[in-house]
Amino acid sequence: MDALVSKYGGSDLDELHQIEDDDDEVSSSLPQSVSFILPPIDQPAKFLRAMTDDHSNPNAPIKLKHGTTTLAFKFQGGVMVCTDSRATQGSWISSQTVKKVIEINPYLLGTMAGGAADCQYWLTYLGMECRLHQLRHKRLISVAAASKILANLVYSYKGMGLSMGTMLTGVGAGGIFGLYYVDSDGNRVEGNLFCVGSGQTFAYGVLDRGYRFDLTDDEAVDLARRSILAATHRDAYSGGHINLYHIKKDGWVKLGFDDTNPIFWKQKLEKGEFQNVSTTLDS
Amino acid sequence: MSNPFTLNGGACLAMAGKDCVAIACDLRLGQQALTLSNNFPKVFNYGDVFLGLTGLATDVQTMHSLFRYKVNLYRLREEREIEPETMANLVSSTLYERRFGPYFVSPVVAGINQRTGKPFICGFDSIGCIDFAKDFIVSGTASDQLFGVAEGLWEPDLEPEDLFETVSQTLLNSLDRDALAGWGAHVYIITKDKVTKRLLKSRQD
Amino acid sequence: MASQYMLPHVQQPPSFHSTASQPRQHQWSPYTENGGVILGIAGKDYVIIAGDTRSSEGYSINTRTARKIFDVGSGIVLGVVGMSADGEELARKVARRIDDYKRNHDKHITVNAAAVMLSRILYAKRFFPYYCQPLLGGLDEDGVGAIYTYDYVGSFEREASRAFGAAASLITPFLDNQINLKNQFVPGTNGDEPRKPGDLPMDRVEKIVKDAFTSAVERHIEVGDGLQLVRVTRPPPREAMEDEEEVDEREKTAGGGVLTEVMSELKKD
Repeated sequence: MDALVSKYGGSDLDELHQIEDDDDEVSSSLPQSVSFILPPIDQPAKFLRAMTDDHSNPNAPIKLKHGTTTLAFKFQGGVMVCTDSRATQGSWISSQTVKKVIEINPYLLGTMAGGAADCQYWLTYLGMECRLHQLRHKRLISVAAASKILANLVYSYKGMGLSMGTMLTGVGAGGIFGLYYVDSDGNRVEGNLFCVGSGQTFAYGVLDRGYRFDLTDDEAVDLARRSILAATHRDAYSGGHINLYHIKKDGWVKLGFDDTNPIFWKQKLEKGEFQNVSTTLDS
Repeated sequence: MSNPFTLNGGACLAMAGKDCVAIACDLRLGQQALTLSNNFPKVFNYGDVFLGLTGLATDVQTMHSLFRYKVNLYRLREEREIEPETMANLVSSTLYERRFGPYFVSPVVAGINQRTGKPFICGFDSIGCIDFAKDFIVSGTASDQLFGVAEGLWEPDLEPEDLFETVSQTLLNSLDRDALAGWGAHVYIITKDKVTKRLLKSRQD
Repeated sequence: MASQYMLPHVQQPPSFHSTASQPRQHQWSPYTENGGVILGIAGKDYVIIAGDTRSSEGYSINTRTARKIFDVGSGIVLGVVGMSADGEELARKVARRIDDYKRNHDKHITVNAAAVMLSRILYAKRFFPYYCQPLLGGLDEDGVGAIYTYDYVGSFEREASRAFGAAASLITPFLDNQINLKNQFVPGTNGDEPRKPGDLPMDRVEKIVKDAFTSAVERHIEVGDGLQLVRVTRPPPREAMEDEEEVDEREKTAGGGVLTEVMSELKKD
């Protein structure tokens, strides 16, 4: 009887109370509608790892896309978000036009590293949760809260084989900028500056050299672009296009999705950088 | 364990035309994902004969030295330049000497036979099996891509300038789909009495 | 003689003794690779999806007449390559869901809505993926060609052209060059001005597609036998139509794609 009451009786009332009571509490329960099909065996995670993980098993039949350079940093004008656009499966470049910045809503962006599908799916799902939060509480969700929904969500799948390294960034209620690194291990870290992916070290090298909080908007754009360009040049698994977003007080603006090739040669020939690349035969 | 054939990356392509041959390579030297150098040519010449070497970089350099030595000795003994067909057999036997501990390279030979004037190209596996071809030879980490594009673009009896365009387009478009090769390219167009070498400006990512 | 050849420095010679007493590992392997290749190209007012018709397992050919491109209804086509059992199951599922949509809403699903739907179908099997790579094509609400490409677990993107499958690495760079005009420059600009990929006419694209397949057949053992080419084009103008009922049916489609299929031969060796 108690079971029946708790199953059918209290839920509506409880929910109402919850909505009125905990204004700031973040609901992170698993979506009821989502149910994933599991292989009919004892250890689904082990099976999935055998079939997909190309580190432990290079002959795995299912090759997921990997390789990336993504960066985001806070500065006086908001947040800069910049990524490359290459997808590789082994050494095969499967795409040069991947959109690694996911537009969750007009105020929130997520970057994509690791499993493309995991990032796309769960950041879209997060967009839904953020909208529900907005409807329930009549104001924008904070980036802190949004990132915590995501972190709790992926933590509940820990060990199942999700793969994502994402920077969640945007502007929340009251025009407060937020930048969080969230990954599928369950990490959630706040910070001013992050680079994620196989080319992260190259991007950090340039970014750390030029970073100040009081960068002007134009300087920030140049620094973000230059950092990704350095990574595309040295990291084989990064390249394609430079995808750039600027988050301002009233939401994000897309600043471009430009082929690296002309940018590289312009940088080299006009600014005299990348002297390691020769343009004549006798060197 | 990483595969010695793909550790450093690199690609090479040879094509035959009408009384001419072309051989081309990329310029990357990498260590897995990290690009160490973008000035590491993989095509070398010994007199009139050209040799492309892709695979493990240390073996590429070792074999280059070895063939410089062997071809110089040949020249002293025979008092003439080596012909491409002879070079092919020299490469083959040199590789087979290491049958049970091979050099991790996939060589390509290209040249014009100075006596007959006939174009000659061939490729090898790492233990010396010769692949004589009358159209084109590919090798390296972009070999799948090179096969596909070359099969689509190549036609018989191309004149030198058309052959240059075909080789360059084949190589560039293949490199752009391989993460481990690229960062510039060298193209040699070889006719009986002239060799033209060009540097291709290619993507640097 | 043999001793003349340099031997690698091995500490232990390889053993050929029976390993019967050793524990043997067994593994459940539900996936097989059936080879084949598909490609999709989106034009200004058309979509072309093509695939070969060979289905193989290792060095054996199971059939020379397996279609990999499916009409899933509402003017939408789905190409699948990888494991044919999973591919066909996926095509059936998508066709069923598109039909459901039509009955529930009394209108045809748009390609972009179908694209999101397919992504969700794939992600539902995130922990036991379908072993196939799908490619969805159709005309969008403006009648413009759309190709949506996926990975195994549902990450997707709209693209202009794409090849999937065994010989994708052979075909893709050729398509980059011939369809997207990569590495081509306007003559006389010294390589400063790239040629812009224009709206290629459909017959030209079909020629390039056939070239791409004949090339792949030469160099890949899993590709060959036949070529299935499916076009999605805009319906002919209303006056030209005879059957009024058919017109009404078409009107409900936002993009209004009409499918035509052309079968041709490829080398069978």
